[in-house]
Amino acid sequence: MINKGVKKRLITLNINDRDYHVIIDDRDTLLYILRDKLMLTGTKDACGVGECGACTVLVDGKAVLSCLMLAIDGQGKKITTVEGLAKDGKLTDLQKAFIQYGAIQCGYCTSGMLMSVVGLFNTNPNPTKNDIKKAIEGNICRCTGYNKIIDAIEAVKDKRLKDKNDR
Amino acid sequence: MIGRRIPRIDGPIKATGEAKYTTDIYLPDMLVAKMLRSPLPHAKILNIDISKAKKIPGVKAIITGRDAWDIRHGFIETPRYPADQYCLANDRVRYIGEEIACVAAVDEDTAYEAIDAIKVTYEELPAVFDIFEAIKPDAPDIHEFRLPDLIEPFKNVGGRCANSFGDMEAAFKKAYLIREDRFETQLRTHCYLEPQATVAYYDVNGKLNVWTSSMGVFRKRMHLSKILHMPLSKIRIHKSWVGGAFGGKIDLFSHEFCTSLLSIKTGKPVKYVAERDEIFSYFRHGQPMVIDLKTLVAKDGTILGQIVRCYNNCGAYRGSGVVCIFLCWGFIILPYRIPTLDYIGYSIYTNNPVRAPQKGHGAPQVRFAVESQLDIIAEELGIDPIEIRLKNARQKGDILPNGDTIKNAGLIECIEEIEKKTDFRKKYSKNLKEVKQYKNNTRFRRGIGIGVSSYFTGTLIYPHNSAAIIKFNDDGTVQCYTGALDIGQGAETILAQIIAEELSIDIKDIEIIAGDTDNTPVDIGSWISGLTYVTGNAVKKASEDARKQLLSSAAIYLNVHMDSLDMRDRIIFVKDNPERSITFSKVLENHIRDHKGDPIIGKGFFRGLKDAEHGPSLKNAKGAWSDSYAFDAQVAEVEVDMHTGKIKVIKATTAHDCGFPINPLLVEGQIDGQVSMAAGQALSEEIIMEKGITLNPSFLEYKLPIATEMVENDYIDIITEEYKKGHHFHTKEVGEGYVSGILAAIANAVYNATGVRAKRLPIRIINNLS
Ligand code: FES
Ligand code: FES
Repeated sequence: MINKGVKKRLITLNINDRDYHVIIDDRDTLLYILRDKLMLTGTKDACGVGECGACTVLVDGKAVLSCLMLAIDGQGKKITTVEGLAKDGKLTDLQKAFIQYGAIQCGYCTSGMLMSVVGLFNTNPNPTKNDIKKAIEGNICRCTGYNKIIDAIEAVKDKRLKDKNDR
Repeated sequence: MIGRRIPRIDGPIKATGEAKYTTDIYLPDMLVAKMLRSPLPHAKILNIDISKAKKIPGVKAIITGRDAWDIRHGFIETPRYPADQYCLANDRVRYIGEEIACVAAVDEDTAYEAIDAIKVTYEELPAVFDIFEAIKPDAPDIHEFRLPDLIEPFKNVGGRCANSFGDMEAAFKKAYLIREDRFETQLRTHCYLEPQATVAYYDVNGKLNVWTSSMGVFRKRMHLSKILHMPLSKIRIHKSWVGGAFGGKIDLFSHEFCTSLLSIKTGKPVKYVAERDEIFSYFRHGQPMVIDLKTLVAKDGTILGQIVRCYNNCGAYRGSGVVCIFLCWGFIILPYRIPTLDYIGYSIYTNNPVRAPQKGHGAPQVRFAVESQLDIIAEELGIDPIEIRLKNARQKGDILPNGDTIKNAGLIECIEEIEKKTDFRKKYSKNLKEVKQYKNNTRFRRGIGIGVSSYFTGTLIYPHNSAAIIKFNDDGTVQCYTGALDIGQGAETILAQIIAEELSIDIKDIEIIAGDTDNTPVDIGSWISGLTYVTGNAVKKASEDARKQLLSSAAIYLNVHMDSLDMRDRIIFVKDNPERSITFSKVLENHIRDHKGDPIIGKGFFRGLKDAEHGPSLKNAKGAWSDSYAFDAQVAEVEVDMHTGKIKVIKATTAHDCGFPINPLLVEGQIDGQVSMAAGQALSEEIIMEKGITLNPSFLEYKLPIATEMVENDYIDIITEEYKKGHHFHTKEVGEGYVSGILAAIANAVYNATGVRAKRLPIRIINNLS
């Protein structure tokens, strides 16, 4: 048995602005802790080996594949999952646009997709269509053909830039 | 509400991560299940020794074929095609990955440790993987089964569907051109993003509670009841959201049986989630097909007859292979008028994993072949691809060879409109001329191609029908109970729109309670392209029933005839004098008072093919198949890099007659997904197998389309049906019909760009470049 004798330890993870104290063993991925230990099941596991993007979360604002990151490395960092996007029960403009533009079908890719886009906007508020495609290149969606996902992201970009200019 | 671009009602819970899929179900004290699979493609099982595995601390139960009843299951189970597969291998395995034992343990590591500790002794048998090897007289027998009416000297035939009509001799005499080609389509797979998953919990009352990633809860319950030897009433399939299916989650799977039995044995919840490489290697994919197609045409391009042989590699068990070869017949006779046909489809057993339906289920294969060949013929006859298609297109009123009537067909309009919108003829002939004259030395060449397809709208297969219940809350808001399962296509949204239309209320006032075998009425499920038609009409009738009751009650309180009443936003009013009104809420309150407590409940039900006892024959394709047929014409524009052979689909246009779109936003979404899946099939996707082993079991190596390969889409609506009050509607399918025409269109466009004709998928032109 691989994990026999592996030491467990107690660590603190800051997820969605809340401190969680969890017992882990060193080889646990962040994805495993989020889903199996903390029941934050919005983050999905569709391959477990870094090929689909469904498990994307933000770590200090950057999009990261949580299936490839060890939970232990999350200590002292700010982790955001899809559950942390809406504030006070209000959806973000990005979430709303995904709904409005038909960017969600089965929804299994959606959380990872959203987190990748938040990560993109964090570093580049004015991405080109190509930048957008590149940013979600690692997020597989089998339902939508990506068309309406990209529409939604562009709409949010335009709206945000317009709001900024109007200010 | 009908025809409006309503955002889907499950959007918010999916955008926040709140939606619970089967993989997200965690129950207290839950065990993890893992599967032991056969490492050999064909072998006798001499012994299974679980003694060491059982002793590992944390292992709670292990089941093998011996713990299962001697019951087999099949995608279809008929006297001609009896069930042929055990949930856990009995004394023989027939493909690499076949399930042999299942372990429930406290965690994944322990379960895998136990799997490794199970010792199986095999006696290896000769195996065969290729269909043309498998039918030879000296091929190993994969099953004892023999088709009683098989006339060919073929071995390993799991199914055969034959149908012919017309005077072939006369067709040969009349023919100006006879064209014969062989086309091959690859093994493709669904790539549903949510892995196959099941949670089963046998509770203390003896009820088996199941959450499973599926396409229809009632079908799963029927299968589980049979295979577990348990009454239907003792099994409840709960609703969970489904992360994509595309045909791949309709069959019964071993893990659904195993988690159930392991929970019965341990009294604890048991969860199984397939690893992605397990799905790629061992689960059910689509159906690779070889199609021999001979077409006889007149000088003007009129099709006089076709001789078709389809060879389907169905894998080690029958799966849906025999349905697929029936459907291939259907997709041959549908979009064009074929006056004479000689069709035989074979489904052939090989030592490969079993096959399932996948979007199109035979249509992509058949349309790729027919549409490619039609372009070859058109060129030989010197007529253009549009003209030859218009010449042969089906029209309203046509009677299909099985007797079904084409009630409405917008195919001609689809072809004409798409020609105009894409400027097809001009682009096509320009490219072709350049290719022919070898004038085009540019590195990047453009091409345009067209493909046509047609699809059925539901048929009769268990559970045959859908029913729905509408009930009201005291404030007049509505709850609808339906067994429908939304697998991403937007079923719940469509149903809510229908209710909103019938009761003239806001969609926000409607709650859909769906997909639960204990709490909702029977439903056909999200497959065979019938949900919107069958369940939609059941929900429509339930709403009409509720509306009628509301109106007749309101008429009493408003002291008018009910015909003079109308309703809007939960208020019923007199048409000529809207001031005179009464709220739903008040009507309900009064109705309960005056009708001995009756709270007004609407009931509706629907079954397609009202005059047919059962679906069409899988043996000879006779009998009613479907109530209505969708048609489409699709155009692809591609760019080919002549140095590298890389092909890019620049644009896809879809002209579709889906009857009428209930929600154009969702229809577009369906088209987008199908165009993308078709582009993948045309250009990159293939499960590569060698001797039963999958060589590319990952997303990365399977190469499905990613965002940078997005195909730009354009859509043309051809409306042929309408939504009327008081009648059932004939909207047509949109869920899988649009994956085929565009696949053929891409192949035709590649030819138009390069002069290279693809006869095998995925298209590889590099070998043809020199
Ligand atoms: S689950 Fe992390 S990339 Fe697929
Ligand atoms: S919506 Fe289903 S995978 Fe993206």
